[in-house]
Amino acid sequence: MPESQPEHGRYLFAFARGLDPARLVGVLGLRGAPLEVVEHRDLQAVVCSVDLEEFGEDRLKEHLEDMEWLEEVARTHHDVVYAVSEVGAVAPTRLVTICSDDASVRGRVETLHTQLSEALSRVEGRREWSVKVYATRPAPPETVDAGRPASGAAYLQRKREQAAQRRSTGDQHLREADEIHQTLTRSVVATRVLQPQDPRLTGRADTMILNGAYLVPTEETDGFRAVVSRLAELNPTLEIELNGPWPPYSFATLD
Amino acid sequence: MSEIQSSVGGQLSVRDAGQISLVDLLDRLLGTGVVLAGDVLISLAGVDLVQIRLHALITTVRADMPVPRNLQGGGTDG
Repeated sequence: MPESQPEHGRYLFAFARGLDPARLVGVLGLRGAPLEVVEHRDLQAVVCSVDLEEFGEDRLKEHLEDMEWLEEVARTHHDVVYAVSEVGAVAPTRLVTICSDDASVRGRVETLHTQLSEALSRVEGRREWSVKVYATRPAPPETVDAGRPASGAAYLQRKREQAAQRRSTGDQHLREADEIHQTLTRSVVATRVLQPQDPRLTGRADTMILNGAYLVPTEETDGFRAVVSRLAELNPTLEIELNGPWPPYSFATLD
Repeated sequence: MSEIQSSVGGQLSVRDAGQISLVDLLDRLLGTGVVLAGDVLISLAGVDLVQIRLHALITTVRADMPVPRNLQGGGTDG
C-alpha cells in the first residue's frame, strides 16, 4: 500500500527521565532537524523527524554498508545521547529505531514503562568507562640453534616447543585479563565484557585481551581511575587503556 | 568530554581523547542499547549486526595501515 506510506518518521535517540528540554537547546538531531522531547507519564523520549526516503527500509540496507552514512548517523546519535546524559538519566536506543509518530512513541513508553524505569534507575548518576588491555607482542621464541635443524626430529621438536610457547602465552594473557577484570569488577556497580576488537579494527598489532565496560558512580570516578592506575603499575608488560566517561550504553538495556 | 588514559611500562598517561572511536561507538550502538519491537516502523533488531559492523569497519581501515602479521594468512599454529 504505497499510498499509505508516511513520509516522515520519529527517530528515537534515547529514553530519559528528569530531563529539562530547555537544556537541549542547540543540540541538533539528524540532518539538522531539531530535537524534540516526547513526554509520557514520568518518562521522556528524545526524538527528531527523519525523512523516510532516506531512513526507510528500502534504502536502509544500502546505507548501512555506506561507511560515511553510517558514521555520520552514529556520531549524531552519540552526540545527542551524550548531551542527554549530561542533563538527565538516559537509556540510549539501538541505532536507527524509528516510530511512525509520537503516539507510537508514547505507546512504546507505556508498554515498557516498568523495564525502562528500572533501566534508568540502574544507570542514574553513573557513567560507563571502557578499559581495554593489550598484550604487547610476545618475543619470538628463543632459538639457540637458529640454523638449519640437525634432523627432521629436531625440526619437529622445535616446532612443538614454539607451539607450546604460543599456547602458554595465550593462557597467560587469559589469566592476566581475568585478574584485571576481577579487580575492576570489585570496584564498580556493574560490568559487561565486550568482544575483544579485531586488530584490523583497532589498527594495532598488539592483541586485545580484554575489552570491558564498567559502570561507575560519578562520585567514585577518581577511585576507579586509581584502581586502573594501580593495575597498570602491577602489569608493566601490558598496555591498559582507560577511556570515558561515556553514556551508559552497555548497561541501560532492558531485561 | 571523554578522556583517554593509557599505560606504557606501567604508567598511565592521559592523552587527548578527541572523539570516541567509531569501532567503540558501533560496538555499543549496534551491540547494546534499548531494542524496540512491536509497533516500530524501522529497527535494526532483525539485521545481522555483526556482519554490518565488520563489513563497514574493515572498509574504513586506513590504506596505510600495515596488516598485522598474524592476519596475513598462514603462519599460525593449528
